[in-house]
Amino acid sequence: MSVGQSPLRHDAAAKTDGSIEYAGDTVPAGALQAVVVFSGRAHARMLLMSTDSALAVPGVVDIITAADAPVNEYGLTMRDQPALVGVDHTGAAAVDAAVSRWEADQIAVVIAETRAAATAGAAAIEVEWEDLPLVDNIDAALAPKAPLVHPENGLDTNAYHHLRIRKGDPDFGFALAYAVIDEVYEVPHQEHAYLQPEAGTAYIDNEGRVTIEIGGQWTSEDREQVAHVLGLPEDRVRIIYKAIGGAFGGKEDMSIQIALGLAAMRLAERGEHRPIHCRWSREESIVGHHKRHRGRIRIRLGATHDGTITALEADVDLDAGAYNYTSNKVLGNAHVSVAGAYRIPHARIDSRAIYTTTVPGGAFRGFGGPQGHFAIESAVNRLAAELGIDPVEMRLRNALVDGDDGITQTVMPEGVSMREVITACSLQAELDEALPDPEPFSPIASLPSATTSLRRGRGFAAGFKNIGFSFGFPERCEAEIVLNGNPNDETPTSAELFHGGAEVGQGAHLAMRQMASDATGVSLDDVHGHFSDTATSGDPGSASASRLTFMAGNSILGAAEEAEKAWREGDRPARGFFRYTPPPTEALDPETGTGAPNFCYGYMAQCIEVTVDVDTGHIRVDRVTSTHDVGKAINPALVRGQIEGAVVQAHGYAISEDLQLADGFITNPRFSSYLIPGIGDIPLQVDSQILEFADPLGPFGARGVAEMPFITYTPALTAAVHDATGLWFNTFPLTPSRVLGGLQAAEE
Amino acid sequence: MSRTHITCTVNGEDTDFLANPGTSLLDALRDELGLTGAKEGCGTGDCGACSVLMDGKVTCACLVFAPEAQGRNLLTVEGLSSGAGISGDHLHPLQQTFLEGAALQCGVCTPGFLVAAKALLDHNPDPTESEIRYALAGNLCRCTGYDKIIRSVQEAAVQLRSAK
Ligand code: FES
Ligand code: FES
Repeated sequence: MSVGQSPLRHDAAAKTDGSIEYAGDTVPAGALQAVVVFSGRAHARMLLMSTDSALAVPGVVDIITAADAPVNEYGLTMRDQPALVGVDHTGAAAVDAAVSRWEADQIAVVIAETRAAATAGAAAIEVEWEDLPLVDNIDAALAPKAPLVHPENGLDTNAYHHLRIRKGDPDFGFALAYAVIDEVYEVPHQEHAYLQPEAGTAYIDNEGRVTIEIGGQWTSEDREQVAHVLGLPEDRVRIIYKAIGGAFGGKEDMSIQIALGLAAMRLAERGEHRPIHCRWSREESIVGHHKRHRGRIRIRLGATHDGTITALEADVDLDAGAYNYTSNKVLGNAHVSVAGAYRIPHARIDSRAIYTTTVPGGAFRGFGGPQGHFAIESAVNRLAAELGIDPVEMRLRNALVDGDDGITQTVMPEGVSMREVITACSLQAELDEALPDPEPFSPIASLPSATTSLRRGRGFAAGFKNIGFSFGFPERCEAEIVLNGNPNDETPTSAELFHGGAEVGQGAHLAMRQMASDATGVSLDDVHGHFSDTATSGDPGSASASRLTFMAGNSILGAAEEAEKAWREGDRPARGFFRYTPPPTEALDPETGTGAPNFCYGYMAQCIEVTVDVDTGHIRVDRVTSTHDVGKAINPALVRGQIEGAVVQAHGYAISEDLQLADGFITNPRFSSYLIPGIGDIPLQVDSQILEFADPLGPFGARGVAEMPFITYTPALTAAVHDATGLWFNTFPLTPSRVLGGLQAAEE
Repeated sequence: MSRTHITCTVNGEDTDFLANPGTSLLDALRDELGLTGAKEGCGTGDCGACSVLMDGKVTCACLVFAPEAQGRNLLTVEGLSSGAGISGDHLHPLQQTFLEGAALQCGVCTPGFLVAAKALLDHNPDPTESEIRYALAGNLCRCTGYDKIIRSVQEAAVQLRSAK
């Protein structure tokens, strides 16, 4: 049995000796270099673009512009973005392709012998713009007579996607409440900061396909989007993933794929067959790709004397930025998660995605869950405090159980473990023990440690996250298994697994091989993986939504069964292909929000202990207890890796990561000023508690874990800071200056 | 632009290459010498993914011009394992403990952590946990949460000491 064990990753040795190849490492000899040119305009109409002087720069080979895009529009879930902004584009597009709607709208791809020549060529492109009014935050976007960012969609508002929940009678529910809290929460942007910036190489392969070697999250979807712009059938485009240097949702949308694809196609037509390489600098990466959504959530929550929730009202506004990316889907998750994993008899929720002329919001670990949970979990903590009820008890009183309806008025998928998870976390965190006195600390080594200004506190939060795609999306995952052996062998000697699922660093390919090993009876060492090449593997769906273990596992179990059958019939090799489709989900009713949005959830709870220095505003996290029902840990070491990594990423979101925008421009696109946690900034202790309540649909009972440890961290942290200081923070990151500002304001 | 001829030792071997004076050592290692283990995570000295040892000292190769390597002794992640280098023959104890201790996920930060940890253990075979954190403070990792990196360095230190 391999499932449940933690064998070593097959890619680990190559990652320790430098030999593994990421997309940025593989530059074929003689490759041309490409630079993608950004508009540098937050909102402006292009009047004129001339590439004449740029083409005259020594070393410049060619320049791809909007005129080269057969279909000049794309988008993962809505095609609202031009591939290249330009005045003389000839391709079809529903969106006005002459308008730049954020600073990193792409306007050209300069291809040259060297990077330096391509950069010089990019600087020589001449463009005339007519500035359009800025719409650089949600207030500006919602103001009466606000300029419309996407007038072509026919709406008279920038709030282009609106979801509702109407359940019971909120007025009646609030009338039953003994206490009601009414708060506005602001959530900030977050940058993915995967350590490998975008990079890729494009060429025409020997079967004539436009081929792009890159790092992404969903091979088939990359192919679909590239093929759409190139005006090619999908089988004329091939996507291959090299080793991927982190993703976290940030590589789910297009970055340089389309630019590279257009370049390879057009240059080949012009007789230039050298491969084309492009890589983004850190600054290009931060400016050029989407972020976790910033937004504002107003929430009203009422409960009776004993803490039973009676009613909820919430208004969730997310800043979608210039283009939809996955905002409509992220909004859906925020919409459902703002109700928490609680029984709420009466509710009204209105959630809106709002266009602005700023960096798009999109997928990022948690996918709307962190925003929704920050609001509801903060509100629950606050209400518990107001009622004088223990926050754990308050949650247990209201937590959903099997058979309950969720907020969308349909029964929760079987396997609701919210109560068990809350209880386990509270025990593990030893909540009945008083916190010890603070240990002296200094955030800066050269300063003496503070002693008298330290306050300790503890906070709790819990929640849930869907596994897999939601709201009626045709969720699927394909796998192929080939069993090898001689005609009279009883059992196969080796197995080949063909799967498209992306190994973004999480160890998915090892977990898949482990499941294939158990499903076929072939030992792990003899299960060989062939991954993430659209020429050889089927549609995996995305490495996102904590879905890959669940979905890939089920596809592998199915493929193994098919291969077994063929084996028994005497086929050598014996092939089995399987397309797994989970139970269908439903889009929510546009008026009432009724529907079954998801087929599976993972449940989590976290307890955080902090020390706050009230003189400096510094927060030290002393201990994190992170409890997760993962259904079944296919590989416990990998699961712990997900928990520890997500906790630290969430720690950055909560404490230090502060993306700055001015007039629609990101002003700190560097690691020197956008501060992700370093090794000295992390929580002193993280206890990962893994629970295994088998999911009825999960492969071997597995659910998923990638996002869950991120989602409840911020509300648990702000509750701990409240416990320490008596202050509630409705926004973050809790930088020293924000904490100190709050403390000083409270004194006045 | 005339290219400069640079002579140095890389991973124990006498090496020479040509580079433009304005080329970073990182680009020269990657593009001229094919040593792509060191990564460009930022290009501004903030992430440590490009770390190499220059005369035994941790250096951000993105911040050094290639000609500054003239006459120096360089060690990159490719030179950590003994034997012919690439893949597997006799990984350095740090490489071994990183892979056994699950101290890597995407792996882009790993080469930088390994060489920085080697520099630490070379001059301090028995570091405390805070000395490890201090020595690795210039290296960012977005995936692992760092704890397994610290444990792996501790474990490698134990192994290296007992091998002596
Ligand atoms: S690439 Fe040199 S420090 Fe980041
Ligand atoms: S393992 Fe990905 S950045 Fe460290």
